[in-house]
Amino acid sequence: MKPFTYIKASNKEKALQSFSTTSHYLAGGTNLVDLMKENVEQPDQIIDVSTLNYNIITKNDKAGLTLGAMVSNADTANNKDVRQKYPLLSMAMLSAATAQIRNMATNGGNLLQRTRCPYFFDIAMPCNKRVPGSGCGALNGMNATHAIFGYSDKCIATNPSDMCVALAAIGATVEVQKIDGTSRMINFKDFHRLPQNEPEFDTTLSKGELITAIHLDASAFSEHYYYLKIRERSSYAFALISVAAGFQISNGVMSKVGLAMGGVAHQPWKLLKAEEFLIGKQPNQSNFEAAAELALKDAKPFEANKYKVDMGKKAIVRALTQAYERKA
Amino acid sequence: MKTSNATGIGNAINRVEGHLKVMGKAKYATEFPVENKVYAQSINSTIAKGEIISIDATAAEQAAGVLKIITYKNADKLKTFDEAMPSVSTDTIAPVLQSNKIHFYGEYVGLVVAKTFEQAQYAASLIKIEYKKDNSAVIDFEKSRSKAFAPSKKSDYSRGDVEKGLKEADEIIEQTYHTPIEHHHPMELHATIANWDNGKVLVYASQQMLEDAAIAISGTFQIPTKDVRIIAPFVGGGFGSKLNLNGHVIMAIMASKMVGQPVQLTVTRNQMFTNTNMRQKNEQKMRIGAKKDGTLTALSHEVLSHTSTTAIFQEPCGMISKMMYNVPNNLVKERLIAMNLQTPFAMRAPGEATGSFALESAIDEMAWKLKMDPIEFRIKNDSQHDLHADKPFSSRLLVECLRIGADKFGWKDRKEQPRTNKKGNWLIGYGVSAASRNAPFQKTNAKIILKLEEKKVNVTVQMDATDIGTGSYTIIAQTASEYLQIPVDQIDVQIGDTDFPVTPGSGGSWGAASYCNGVQSACENAINKLKVNRNIKKDKTVPLADLLKMNQLTSFEAEGSAEPSLEFKKYSVFSFGANFTEVWVDKDTGMYRIKRMVNVASAGKILNPKTAYGQIIGGITMGAGMVIAEQTKVEPNFGNFITRSFADYHVPVNLDMANVNVVFLPEEDKIANKMGIKGIGELGITSVAASIANAIFNATGKRMRDLPITPEKLIEAGLEPGISA
Repeated sequence: MKPFTYIKASNKEKALQSFSTTSHYLAGGTNLVDLMKENVEQPDQIIDVSTLNYNIITKNDKAGLTLGAMVSNADTANNKDVRQKYPLLSMAMLSAATAQIRNMATNGGNLLQRTRCPYFFDIAMPCNKRVPGSGCGALNGMNATHAIFGYSDKCIATNPSDMCVALAAIGATVEVQKIDGTSRMINFKDFHRLPQNEPEFDTTLSKGELITAIHLDASAFSEHYYYLKIRERSSYAFALISVAAGFQISNGVMSKVGLAMGGVAHQPWKLLKAEEFLIGKQPNQSNFEAAAELALKDAKPFEANKYKVDMGKKAIVRALTQAYERKA
Repeated sequence: MKTSNATGIGNAINRVEGHLKVMGKAKYATEFPVENKVYAQSINSTIAKGEIISIDATAAEQAAGVLKIITYKNADKLKTFDEAMPSVSTDTIAPVLQSNKIHFYGEYVGLVVAKTFEQAQYAASLIKIEYKKDNSAVIDFEKSRSKAFAPSKKSDYSRGDVEKGLKEADEIIEQTYHTPIEHHHPMELHATIANWDNGKVLVYASQQMLEDAAIAISGTFQIPTKDVRIIAPFVGGGFGSKLNLNGHVIMAIMASKMVGQPVQLTVTRNQMFTNTNMRQKNEQKMRIGAKKDGTLTALSHEVLSHTSTTAIFQEPCGMISKMMYNVPNNLVKERLIAMNLQTPFAMRAPGEATGSFALESAIDEMAWKLKMDPIEFRIKNDSQHDLHADKPFSSRLLVECLRIGADKFGWKDRKEQPRTNKKGNWLIGYGVSAASRNAPFQKTNAKIILKLEEKKVNVTVQMDATDIGTGSYTIIAQTASEYLQIPVDQIDVQIGDTDFPVTPGSGGSWGAASYCNGVQSACENAINKLKVNRNIKKDKTVPLADLLKMNQLTSFEAEGSAEPSLEFKKYSVFSFGANFTEVWVDKDTGMYRIKRMVNVASAGKILNPKTAYGQIIGGITMGAGMVIAEQTKVEPNFGNFITRSFADYHVPVNLDMANVNVVFLPEEDKIANKMGIKGIGELGITSVAASIANAIFNATGKRMRDLPITPEKLIEAGLEPGISA
């Protein structure tokens, strides 16, 4: 690991003022420290923001909840109000990593988790995300776990988060502190970006911006919801494919629908067409199957990850079915 | 009140060193407080084949705390191999940093020694090495078949005529099974503290076989073996990766010699993929012929594996096919491809773990084809004679293992037709497999020291044995307790030091039998000598304290040794077992759960049911890992492993493991050795993979012949109704 200086920010002003181009904010450290050990991240300065007072979950004026950026994933997932209002979010978060990691990992940090692409993690390998212009090793290499949607010839990596898949289904607003001390709101669907020609940027955050909160609207899918995570072992594995599904039923048809996939793109992949299709339809097998077909229609898999198309369809149908049967 | 009977052999006592371990007081290789210790960090090549053109160490040399940078340019000259492709053994030399040639991705190319671990690590990252890459590296197994060769005369075995046997058969199975590269990954990283002092070497190391490690060090540095002392009282797992000596130990000794201080070197988890052994990929082609009534007529087992370009290691995958069943026509062929990867080496049950996956899957396929119960099919072809060695088995309770296991498991409830046992989204399947593992026994020496203190006799046992987490301390103490009639809390077991009497170390499932018979001999010698001195008849029972008093002694020492008898050599000595698995496969997602397993083992005298249970459970977990997810993947363009950490190399988690019921059959096998002990360290892993894969077939109707069986492979196989046998 490269030597670095460490400062603990006592307040947000201190954090923002201390930031330079080679700084990195540290919250739970569950991803950043791993990357520093691998020399993937080599900050000169670590600004510890873990004790800033963004550490509570509060009710907001939209009758929803605001999740502090420094609240741990474990505390968020197990929070009584979160479980009641957004059980889909809680379920997704509890499927992630291990109890130990969830105790350390924060909500803000979860949004900034970097890809698990093996070429990104190994500094001897080419990777445009790590070293722009060095090439994409995965493109003609081992890409069984890579994207089937929205990738570019510069990068085919996926976003590894479970929490973010649920947030994409539910909808959220991310509040960030800008370096000049003002704040701004980012719609969650605009928070993560596609790789295009600049895969080094995972999100639309600017250098030095600090996530302070995630705002959620009034409760979402508290009756019909399911987070399905397909992985190689029962815990402590990233998703091959995951699906967050939630809907409301009014008069026998689905009124509001939230559907997103993980493990398929550079961002949590919101299934807009499938959502639209399901609205006004009865929750039954044939509609679920039609939605799944629609969702995977534009998938462009590689040879090694074409299983994701079939697996993705089955996962969507299963997640919707489980969501329906949960209360029906 | 403890009595000697309560702590003698056969009792499920707690580990005698357990308290030390949970208190954090058991010292592992790098936990010894050595004065003036400095730290080393090794560097790995980033090409698979070629040579080093230049090394720029300017920045590293100027970095804080750096004491020495060692590369092929200034490395100590070591003994290198006399022949081009030597076979690797447990005492083989381990020359390192001897030339600028690169043979595999991740090969050691340098070492930085600094005052602190962090300084060494950082400085190592500053060294820039320029390579001339040779694009002829062999990194693609599939494309290199034509380069396969027979590594030795033992690579071909046959009895009878397999082709003739196949012609006589009513049904034939011809299938190929694949197992990937796997890694041992013991919890304790490979690590060492080495001190070179005037040509004498003291090494704290994490090794399974201390005597052989000392021989390897002495051979590499060309110093007398007596000048090498290895200390390893606790070893945090090995699984075969610590049987032989790996390059890091040699580098640490070399560094200590060059800087004049003790040097600590820890192999990182990432380096444990590239520098401390692996199990290679195997492709196993099986051909089986059988009559309609289930009589086997032919069994052919052809194996294609890989070794490195510098040395030979052949995993004997075909071994189990030579001795398991009563089949007159048998052919085993083993071939290797020399690849630009590290040299593979023994990993838990080398041969059986992977070979049994192919054999016991193919046997299941044949049973299905014959519409025979797979248990009855195996029993029909049981043999009490080892046709390969042409010797009788000293004992073989395989039929009993299968029968008793079937009863305990509820095999009668199995639906013969796949996809007929369903529950919601789950397809439920039952699978069975038979297991065997050689139960070797090797010459072992031990010393006991008796001290009469007040009215109690305190005993010290000394031998250069190791406890790699298996329970050696405990069973050695129990053996002394049994034969001296002294409770274990008066017995101090001292192992893990080459200054103690020589043993074969821990490996190959010979540890328990060898250690305990050695200790038994020392105990017997002590008592006999004390009796002879006082003209007491051998068969008269006299408490040890009284014996010492009668001899007017307050302390007494005796040595003993044990080795295979002449009778032992007239028999084939094996442990046997059977595995039963119930698996639930999700009909859509390809995820599955191992719901429960029953393992029946016939492995001679069980010294301690608790530690024995741990051995079997550990083996089963590792066997389940072979099926669930364990695989090391080679990058096709660079030749590196893209699975570089436990985040990528998936071992089973607790939630993956089933409710496992382990049953030990009572077995008296005095031919195996005086105490009737057989090995169990490797029996547990054997054929677990086939048992699970067979259960997956029974659940889904799909034969999965390529490990691991991941959700993606099940999805690709198509989980739709139908049987693709």
